[in-house]
Amino acid sequence: MGFFDHLLRDIRSVIDRDGGQNAIPPLDGAMSPNDRLDSAVPIGEPLPGVDDVIAAADSAVYVSAGRQVLKLSGADFATRTVVAEFEDDAGGLALHPDGRLLVCVAGRGLAAIDPAKPAPRWLESAGGSALVGLLSVTAAPDGRIYAVEGGAGRRPGEWRHDLMEKRAGGRLISCGAGLDNPQVLLRDLPYPYGVTVSDDGKSLWLTESWAHRLSRFALGGNGLGPRETVAANMPGYPARLHPDGHGGLLLGMFARRTHLIEFVLKEDDFREEMMATMPPEYWVAPALVGGSDCLEPMQIGSVKALGIQKPWAPPRSYGLLVHLDAEGDATDSLHSRAGGRFHGITAACATPSGIVIAARGAGRLLLHTGDLR
Amino acid sequence: MSMAVDSFSASVRRFSPRLLLSELLLKQWFEPVVPFTVMIGLWAYFALTIPDYASVQNSVSLLRLFAEFGFVALAMGFCLVTGGIDLSVGAIFALCNFAALYFLLVREWPVGLAIPATLLVGALLGSINGFLIGFLKTRPFLTTLVTLIILRASVNLLNTSYAQVFATNSVESDAWDFVGGGSVLGIPVNAATLFVVLLICHIFLSRSRYGWHLTAIGASRKAARHAGIRVRLMLFMTYVLSGTLCAASGIFYAARQASTDSTTGVGWEFQALTAVVLGGVSLAGGKGTVWRAMIGALIIFLLINGLVRMGIPGYVTSAVTGMILLAAVGIDVKWSKNRGKAIQKIYVNPAFVPLASAPAVQPGAASPYAQNDRLIKAQAIGVDQVEGPEDVILDRQGRLYGSTRDGNVIRFSGPDFKTREVFAHIGGRPLGMQFDRDENLIVAVAGMGVYGVAPDGRIFKVTDETNRTWYKLNDDSRLRMADDLDIAPDGKIYFSDCTTRYEMTTNTLDILEGRPNGRVVCYDPATKTTRTVINHFYFPNGICVSHDGKSILIASTSLCKVFRHWIDGPNKGKTEVLMDELPGNPDNINRASDGTYWLALVGIRTPTFDLAARKPGFRLRMVKQVPTDEWLAPALNHGCVLKFNEKGEALESWWDPTGISHSTLTSMREHQGYLYLGGLENNRIGRIKLDGVDDSWTGYDAYWGAKSRVTK
Repeated sequence: MGFFDHLLRDIRSVIDRDGGQNAIPPLDGAMSPNDRLDSAVPIGEPLPGVDDVIAAADSAVYVSAGRQVLKLSGADFATRTVVAEFEDDAGGLALHPDGRLLVCVAGRGLAAIDPAKPAPRWLESAGGSALVGLLSVTAAPDGRIYAVEGGAGRRPGEWRHDLMEKRAGGRLISCGAGLDNPQVLLRDLPYPYGVTVSDDGKSLWLTESWAHRLSRFALGGNGLGPRETVAANMPGYPARLHPDGHGGLLLGMFARRTHLIEFVLKEDDFREEMMATMPPEYWVAPALVGGSDCLEPMQIGSVKALGIQKPWAPPRSYGLLVHLDAEGDATDSLHSRAGGRFHGITAACATPSGIVIAARGAGRLLLHTGDLR
Repeated sequence: MSMAVDSFSASVRRFSPRLLLSELLLKQWFEPVVPFTVMIGLWAYFALTIPDYASVQNSVSLLRLFAEFGFVALAMGFCLVTGGIDLSVGAIFALCNFAALYFLLVREWPVGLAIPATLLVGALLGSINGFLIGFLKTRPFLTTLVTLIILRASVNLLNTSYAQVFATNSVESDAWDFVGGGSVLGIPVNAATLFVVLLICHIFLSRSRYGWHLTAIGASRKAARHAGIRVRLMLFMTYVLSGTLCAASGIFYAARQASTDSTTGVGWEFQALTAVVLGGVSLAGGKGTVWRAMIGALIIFLLINGLVRMGIPGYVTSAVTGMILLAAVGIDVKWSKNRGKAIQKIYVNPAFVPLASAPAVQPGAASPYAQNDRLIKAQAIGVDQVEGPEDVILDRQGRLYGSTRDGNVIRFSGPDFKTREVFAHIGGRPLGMQFDRDENLIVAVAGMGVYGVAPDGRIFKVTDETNRTWYKLNDDSRLRMADDLDIAPDGKIYFSDCTTRYEMTTNTLDILEGRPNGRVVCYDPATKTTRTVINHFYFPNGICVSHDGKSILIASTSLCKVFRHWIDGPNKGKTEVLMDELPGNPDNINRASDGTYWLALVGIRTPTFDLAARKPGFRLRMVKQVPTDEWLAPALNHGCVLKFNEKGEALESWWDPTGISHSTLTSMREHQGYLYLGGLENNRIGRIKLDGVDDSWTGYDAYWGAKSRVTK
């Protein structure tokens, strides 16, 4: 950028204060940093690639991890049964009111598994294009199914490319209970990641990661109402939303925003060469887990001092679970800061024995039994 | 390899206008450059537009006209430097003009008496100001405004009483005529006097104790008082001096014009103030020289004189000077407030860093750099008892020393190194260490220089400065950041001074800047002299004298290379690249028992940092826009130690890839079959057992004893 570009940017930042130049908000209030996520208890053996977790009816949970969908049940969720196995990664999960399990499968589409029938039914395209990048799915009380795709034609594993190319090609789709009649409700969204419908079926919640935004839409007889932005400019990249069982929501943030990433997003020349010449795990980009590979980017504040990495160091990866009230305002949060254990939170759900959290970065399922307001 | 040397030396000469500007702005003498240029430009403009302006005759007459105003401007300059102001300069000038004529014409005193008497009148009038401001602590602005009004009224009153006497009488004195119209070596006498006075005042203000006191009072009155400066007396004397200078001006004016009227000196306080501020004497006080005051005075004088000669009406001229004063004051306030910020903004000037490609370090890679976990299980010594032992060394008795960030050299001794003691508190940031032949511990101390610690713990200075590079703006004679050192067989101490532009706390900026700001320096104990051996080196860090004593090995942290510089033999004085492609940023180098060398990598090169090294603009904007803690860095949380031979071939590597035990690994030292590890930010010293090495080898013996491999 030359001098003139800088000047223009400075002028723009004065005139148009919300024009994408927002400073990263500090973590305070309900999001004040703590170490409570690090004190959560891991459930059983590691689950590499753990992605989504939802509560089942009988105080069990369904978990997607790698290509499998598992059901964890019994005391301490000790019993693991494979519910389904796919040819590609399983992602977002939802339980349909009629008892079927809905699974987002990377590269393929939406699968509906009826416990009685072994072969799932599939929804593989919507609006004329294949559903290869479904991230989340939810079912309204009336049986209608809503799902989000991060970027049209982009598989979930390529999420870093989507951010670094500054794409906004995500879609919100819906279909009938029988996976019939798919419709594209919204398109060109900046990586919609989580979607859920409130218990009363009157509103739909949506998170968009690259816009750091949480929105609510009224659901009426004639489809989707106008957007109401509940929270914009969040300090992290929001992932999936699940109900907390008391009218609120549990929102996982899979990474924190850092000044360096925001800076690299402005540096087109650097970013393009970075994407062209090195593997994605070494990019200056959000990460689900970090710190162990010496080739990944490092920031000065992260240098270990006297054997300790300071928790307030700029995080390569971060663990953050936020509790939202019925209005979408953050009320409490669990953190695993720089140097912590459980990073890359993609989902969490409420069960009678506590909150079960999917820490994708750590490849662990966690149980938080403490208080969460 | 020779190509790498070429590109290395070529990049040394890379010129950066930003860098030049930032270093120029740091210089005190650079600030008057702008007014000086304006002055020359103004003169040139009038010389081109007004006929005969540049002739000798005109220049002489201009000088004669200027000198009196010069004295008044100087008086104003002194008052501004002390943080005050003297608005009564014009009035004192007018009254002294009157006084000189009064003494000569009415009292008919001889010239030899009238001149000192007039000077005394000036001093007395100044002392009124000085007494009020210095001792009664009134505000300079209001006080001198009041004296201005009173004195001006008195002058007018006296003028009307004596106008007739002055008009009808004239002084019959050769001496008086000489003062009014004489010349010394072709220069008008008043201008020559002004020049002499300026010289004296310059020496007084810039070289004498009282001049410094004046400046100190102007910079911070409270601090000056705390420092024991007699503020009240100094202020009093300043206004006395101001009055005397105005009196001198009045004498010359009286001698030249031999008349007085109600317009004499009217508005001079305003012109003098404009001139002095324009020249760069700060209104805030504490900053300014007599030359700056004079440059400003010349500008204003030339401007007013030139405008008058071009036939422009007087009120326009006044308006122009008013506008100039406004602009000068505005610039003065903004500049003195933001100068530091402006320099800070342009001080860092990243350059393209010519890095070689990085070898593979992945576990299982077929290179000697493949990651392993041989350092993770290192035995820890003194956990949480040392703060960042950058270098570690062992003496002949097997005691272990670490140089720590609190300015200490910590010593561990006894079984399992359980006994900790502070061997020496040097201060600064002790870094590289080595024992000389007499078992003195020679330590490179960042921020201080090279120091020695005798075996009994006595600390002595070895050197703290080297020869200055004559063409550099930054004074680089002081050692900024002595980093590592080694001692040649002849006792010469070779050490690295890794940056001349930054400090220990800001040395990451030097890495980000990626310019050859460092140097390799040699101290010769025989002649007790320090000379720079290699100037312009990319962050020289580890230094090791080769086993044969004929060359030194130099690690360049920002270039990720190891160089060899010959200090003896046929290639003496030459520098060559020894290791070109390193996977990380090399730190200290030390001898190994088998005739090879140890090398610590403080950071591992990451693809993103290497990419940033190729993009100076990216790094510049990062430094400006991103908070310090969030700057991109090499991977510093992973420890790695290498072994390489005389040919520069890497043989083996030892890793702590997670940095659990050893992150920011900066040094290692082999001693009797063990390798000791130190880290810049670590809380311990580590030690691992080495297999198949000479168990009796010690560093001291390798340098000064039986294990030496030095060839004669």
